[in-house]
Amino acid sequence: MIELQGVSRTVPSGDTMLTILHPLDLVIESSRVAAITGPSGSGKSTLLGLLAGLDAPSTGRILIDGADITAMSEDALARFRGRRIGFVFQFFHLLPSLTAIENVRVPLEIAGAADAGRRADALLAEVGLAPRRHHYPSQLSGGEQQRVAIARALANDPPILLADEPTGNLDSATGHQVIDLLIDVNRRRGTTVVLVTHDAELAQRADVTIALRDGRIAGVTEARAAASS
Amino acid sequence: MRFVLLMAAREIRASWRRLLFFFVCVAIGVGAIVALRSMIQNVRTDLAGEARALIAGDVAIATNRPWTDDLRAAIDRRLSEAPVEARQDAVEVATMVRPEEGRGAATAKMVELRGVQAGFPLYGRVVLQDGSTFTHDRLGNRGVLVRPELLAQLGLAVGDRLMVGGTPFTIRGVISQEPGRRAGAFSFGSRVLIDLDDLRSTGLLTFGSRARYEILLKVSESAVQPLTRDLRQRFGNRFVTVRSFRSTEDQIGDDLVRAENYLSLVGFVILVLGGIGVWSVTRVFVRQKIRSVAILKCVGATTRQVLSAYVLQVVLLGLAGGALGIVLARAGLAAIPASVAATLGTARTTLTASAIWQGVSVGMLVSLLFSLVPLLEVRRVKPLLLLRGGAASGLAPQAVLPPWWTMAGTRTRLAAVDWLQVAVAGGVSAALVAIASWQAASLRVGLVVCIGFATVAFVLHLSSTAIVYAVRPLARARAFPLRHAVLSLGRPGNQTRVILLAVGLGSFFVIGVRALQANLLEQFSLELSSSGADMVLMEILPDQVDQVRAFLEARKAPASAPPRLIPVLRARVTGVRGRETTLESFDDVRRQGALAREYVITYRDRLEPNEKVIDGAFWTGQPPLDERASPVEVSVERSIHQRFRINVGDIVRFDVLGRRLEARVTSVREVEWEDARAGGFMFVFRPGPFAHAPQTWIGILRAPEDPTERGRFQRDLVARFPNVSAIDVREVLATLSGAVRNLTLAISIVGGIALLSGVLILVGAVAMTKFQRVYEAAILRTLGANTRMLAAMLAVEYGVLGLLAGVVGGAGALALTWGVSRHVLDIPWRPNPLLASIGAAITTVLVGSVGVIASYDVLRKKPLGALRAE
Repeated sequence: MIELQGVSRTVPSGDTMLTILHPLDLVIESSRVAAITGPSGSGKSTLLGLLAGLDAPSTGRILIDGADITAMSEDALARFRGRRIGFVFQFFHLLPSLTAIENVRVPLEIAGAADAGRRADALLAEVGLAPRRHHYPSQLSGGEQQRVAIARALANDPPILLADEPTGNLDSATGHQVIDLLIDVNRRRGTTVVLVTHDAELAQRADVTIALRDGRIAGVTEARAAASS
Repeated sequence: MRFVLLMAAREIRASWRRLLFFFVCVAIGVGAIVALRSMIQNVRTDLAGEARALIAGDVAIATNRPWTDDLRAAIDRRLSEAPVEARQDAVEVATMVRPEEGRGAATAKMVELRGVQAGFPLYGRVVLQDGSTFTHDRLGNRGVLVRPELLAQLGLAVGDRLMVGGTPFTIRGVISQEPGRRAGAFSFGSRVLIDLDDLRSTGLLTFGSRARYEILLKVSESAVQPLTRDLRQRFGNRFVTVRSFRSTEDQIGDDLVRAENYLSLVGFVILVLGGIGVWSVTRVFVRQKIRSVAILKCVGATTRQVLSAYVLQVVLLGLAGGALGIVLARAGLAAIPASVAATLGTARTTLTASAIWQGVSVGMLVSLLFSLVPLLEVRRVKPLLLLRGGAASGLAPQAVLPPWWTMAGTRTRLAAVDWLQVAVAGGVSAALVAIASWQAASLRVGLVVCIGFATVAFVLHLSSTAIVYAVRPLARARAFPLRHAVLSLGRPGNQTRVILLAVGLGSFFVIGVRALQANLLEQFSLELSSSGADMVLMEILPDQVDQVRAFLEARKAPASAPPRLIPVLRARVTGVRGRETTLESFDDVRRQGALAREYVITYRDRLEPNEKVIDGAFWTGQPPLDERASPVEVSVERSIHQRFRINVGDIVRFDVLGRRLEARVTSVREVEWEDARAGGFMFVFRPGPFAHAPQTWIGILRAPEDPTERGRFQRDLVARFPNVSAIDVREVLATLSGAVRNLTLAISIVGGIALLSGVLILVGAVAMTKFQRVYEAAILRTLGANTRMLAAMLAVEYGVLGLLAGVVGGAGALALTWGVSRHVLDIPWRPNPLLASIGAAITTVLVGSVGVIASYDVLRKKPLGALRAE
């Protein structure tokens, strides 16, 4: 379970402070797919960055399965992310100097997994890229890169997967495949998936939609019935 | 750990091309250290092994005066108690030889004649050119052995006759290798071996000859040290020197260790230049790796893990650079011709283990130290940047900082300082001083080198800041290439300072050494032309003075000044009783160092044109003293007065060839040494006391310039006065000029390597920033810039950089020649702005063209590809 208590984020802008997120409380239950939507500048990506511990809130606490990540040091956060959180970016962010399989292996190696090679192979197979395992990111299409990124995010079997506009940089057909993959991960592994999206179709397939406007929660919509039907 | 290893390996696999310059920079420095150290160590091993041969025995007792009977008896008594296994007498004397009348070339040459007894040498071996072994029979019946160069100079062959001291000798063979001959040592002439009794019979060892008398001993190993010590103690104050092969070995060892350390320091300096390259490569590398670091942090890697992976990468690259350096050193040594190696005193050109170990570890340390500070930037990379799409700089934001001069500004600025980086930079500096001191085997030298380096770096840093500031108005220039070139010099992440430092130091080395050489050679030619005199005659006996004068008047160069003949005696100071200095015995004098050496003194009744009295009064116009006067009167040179605090009124005791006398200092003279026409004497006596003392005269004259005339002049002189030696100043200066040229060549090679690393660093710097440039060039092309315009931009940018590096290097070189001329060589400073300007111009062209050529990719790439890649 992800729990936000009075979380806000302000940044200095010239001589004044700019509020990106006003204090907000939010609970995302485990094993659900949550979509964060809203117009540009509404604070979606900032919220996701806070959930991943990539940024620290100005006020409030963030608890992930009871652990207060706002109290962790930079290195403790890195370790926490390595074990508990997978992250998928709009711009894929694969390591350009590593092949697909090596990109997937990296989190396993960091966590000290004994069977990193075997598990990375399995993950690449799971996203349908086994034949492309020795290709470098520059030799893969956008959709393929994003699937490698998802495999990498799942490497340590994290209970939470965060995705920032995962289809934002893909054509609609490829976007579809990626959406299917994410939903599939949630269904099969029970992974909590939180995604930031502009994509109406993707938002529709989420269990819960959190709408942001000007740094405030404008509404939370449960859509389980619609999704399951 | 596994992750760290794997990441380091993968990163090297991906970026080795970009990091090529990293290990080439390291390799050149390591190669220099390994090659220079190995070379000297080879020489040391070879020479130290020959120490016995060098002094031709286990112990050598030597003096510059003929053995007196009582001294000889005392030494014999002492030696009869010592375990002496063999003993020999030898005498070495510099003299003139010439071909027999009517044979060979019409000239005479100065040689070093060595008279030896049967059984010579006690150690080592005389190798003759025909391969046969030397036996003493060869010297029987007035035979001599000579060096090949003498045969060539005199136009003689084996079997011909050679006139030594007016006596004919037969040339019996040609020496190709002789023990006791040290490579590179200065000598007055080539070696001639002769039987000792024959030498005595020539009359060359009469009074006044500059001979060195030696007793060579072969003693059991254990007795060497005690015997040497005891002999020194007993006979040290009777002007006898005692050397053992051990002390010679130590001396050679010390000299070579010093040479090795200094040369290694040169290697270290080159390596530090390489280190600057490493620093610049790492800095740019880290900037390009920011996104990768953020990704790694995002998927769970800690800062420590990421930093470890990059440090490991540096270590591996440093090792690879070291390995390449060893290969370079091996190739460099193999390229040294055998003849050059032989001149240096070794036949081996192998690498030594200790040189390899030192070179590689210094290379490792330098690459680690220079990359550590830029690598620490990795700590500041925040994974959050990944959410910000194309964030230009991924480092924690560096706000525009307020100025230092307000309190709040200072606080903000101090808060923005990365103290860990500052601390590491401090540690790195200390470590560099430690490495330099280790290489030079002296903390002081290490400190001086590092401070010197830091000063030059600081000056170059200031200059680069100044130029970026000074050319800023050009950013509004009408010419597009000029405007953009100026903007590039000051752009974020520019390489201006690195290139200036690397190339500026390189050009400083090369121009500085060249300028110094020009200054020295000019000094030599000036000495010849100004003084007029170009030949010095020695060992003229008093009764020959008038005949020699008549001979010289008749044969000197036409229209030159009359030859000057000056009486000289050799004397030692044995005591001083004065206001500031009192030295009771010769032992006390010896503790003063140079004061104990043998001085050549003269007497005359007037000052020379190059002298002036600065204290007391000279005896000009006063009559000579009585022959038995005591104390006599002496005038001392200013340096004696200053160094040993000997003043007007003090009494100085002298031993003049066995005669003891006391002299009162009546004046202090300053000699203008640069004007050596009239010679210079530390002690000049008032005439009288030495009128009938045993003495010789020297002659200073200008001999005919035409080589044939000159040769004939020397030959006729020696034929008439066999005991007189002529030192040809032209030849000596030519030898010295040759030595200076060789030395300059050696230093220029080192400077060239420094400049080469500078150029490599330049290429590396250009290559590293190419990615940024390719993108910029693509945008400019899209906006309508053509290739020529882009090339002009690059040429102007690098040309300006090169010009500044050249100007700083040239100005530094002028400063260097000033410092070395005035304070080290003690010659007048002759600035050579033309040479400095040419050097600066060459540097400008070099940097400009290297910059453009290394950016070839930038000019060639199609814009669309570059824009997509970004």
